[in-house]
Amino acid sequence: MPHPELLMLMLADARLPVAGHTQSGTLEGALANGLDPADVPAYLRSRLWGAIRVEAGTAVAARHAARGGADLAGVDRAWAARTVSPALRDAARLQGQALLRLAVRVWPGAVGALEVVTRPSRSTVLGTLAGHLDIGAASLARLVAYDDVQTVCAAALKLVPLDPVVVTGWVHDALDHVDDVVRAVADVQTPDEIPAVASPQIEAWAQAHAGSSRRLFRA
Amino acid sequence: MPELAALPQPVGPHRPLRLGVCGPVGTGKSSLIALLCRELAERLELAVVTNDIYTDEDARFLRSAGVLASDRIRAVETGACPHTAIRDDISANLMMVEDLEFDYPELDVVLIESGGDNLTATFSPALVDVQIFVLDVAGGGDVARKGGPGIERADLLVVNKTDLAPYVGVDVVRMVADATAARGERPVIGLSRSDRSSIDALVGWLDGVRDHHLSGALIPVDPGPMAAHSHAHAHGHAHEH
Repeated sequence: MPHPELLMLMLADARLPVAGHTQSGTLEGALANGLDPADVPAYLRSRLWGAIRVEAGTAVAARHAARGGADLAGVDRAWAARTVSPALRDAARLQGQALLRLAVRVWPGAVGALEVVTRPSRSTVLGTLAGHLDIGAASLARLVAYDDVQTVCAAALKLVPLDPVVVTGWVHDALDHVDDVVRAVADVQTPDEIPAVASPQIEAWAQAHAGSSRRLFRA
Repeated sequence: MPELAALPQPVGPHRPLRLGVCGPVGTGKSSLIALLCRELAERLELAVVTNDIYTDEDARFLRSAGVLASDRIRAVETGACPHTAIRDDISANLMMVEDLEFDYPELDVVLIESGGDNLTATFSPALVDVQIFVLDVAGGGDVARKGGPGIERADLLVVNKTDLAPYVGVDVVRMVADATAARGERPVIGLSRSDRSSIDALVGWLDGVRDHHLSGALIPVDPGPMAAHSHAHAHGHAHEH
């Protein structure tokens, strides 16, 4: 098995073929419904305080369940209960399908335990995979949170073109908040320990986006 | 290590033929798909995946054309990366195709329309088994001569809207001859929806491709992102590297 850090880099790389380019982290819906482009850094922080704690906590719980042979369906149910917006649940399940599609080919055997879960979310799949690949809980949480920051910022460059150096500065400035997420979820083991944090405004934007007929991004 | 299918493999009748339609904006990709659906829907089971810049512009056009049940026409969001979605990270498209094949197990052909990109965009052979590149006479008579991977090496080149040629000052015969010269043995069809024989030629081409697919001998070919190694053919020079 390659070094876990190399596997982490692989999973964090935008070039991983899991249709990451179709996702904006709800930024497209947010900008279309009133978010000021100058507030994208605050938007990043809001996500890290809200939905991303649920996502990272879910991934860490799935990792723990996968390594201990515990119930992954229960982890995924706990994620769904904390993810209020149907549009966001659907988007996360589609991303889970894409990652699963890749994992069964590149790491066969890594995600067999997910057969009992119907349409697992991306975080459930990623956590299960991380368990198999010996990626640690804190590293996994870091990956989930970092990936969200990069997803939103890459979409920002498509939606409100800016000097990419400015946007990279936004990514850098969000890293301390990424580590706050890691501290909040790295010790999660069971589904009930996954943070339950709602982000009503982001959920409303996600729903509005899903009903729009002129989308560039899936979600 | 797991065994990964590294290169395009023969694809047989165990799944529908996947036909890609690509080409620049406004050349008539959606219309060509609507035309194929009208011609074929009585005898073949069809579905369509669109990759428009905005989610479902093309899907709505096709639904409003009323040629297929609307659930058989589905749109992929490309995140403003239409080229990526059909060429390097084809996951979103493959998942959509697989979903359609799961929902409609009797499908014969899945048509995949690229987002209107530029002359360089072609489909990955891992996504489509065969692809049509569409130009139109209104884009200018010299486009075919300029070449590019799709023009030179797509399985079929369609020069569309030939009925408009007199209005845009294009010599269709010359344009088709230029395209044919750029393509060696590969076929070119000058198409107009008001020219019955051109429609028959298009349908005949697709029937031939389907026979090839059903025989299990069809191997998808990549038109390539770059110029072919040998431009020499076009100039009649020897092939040397």
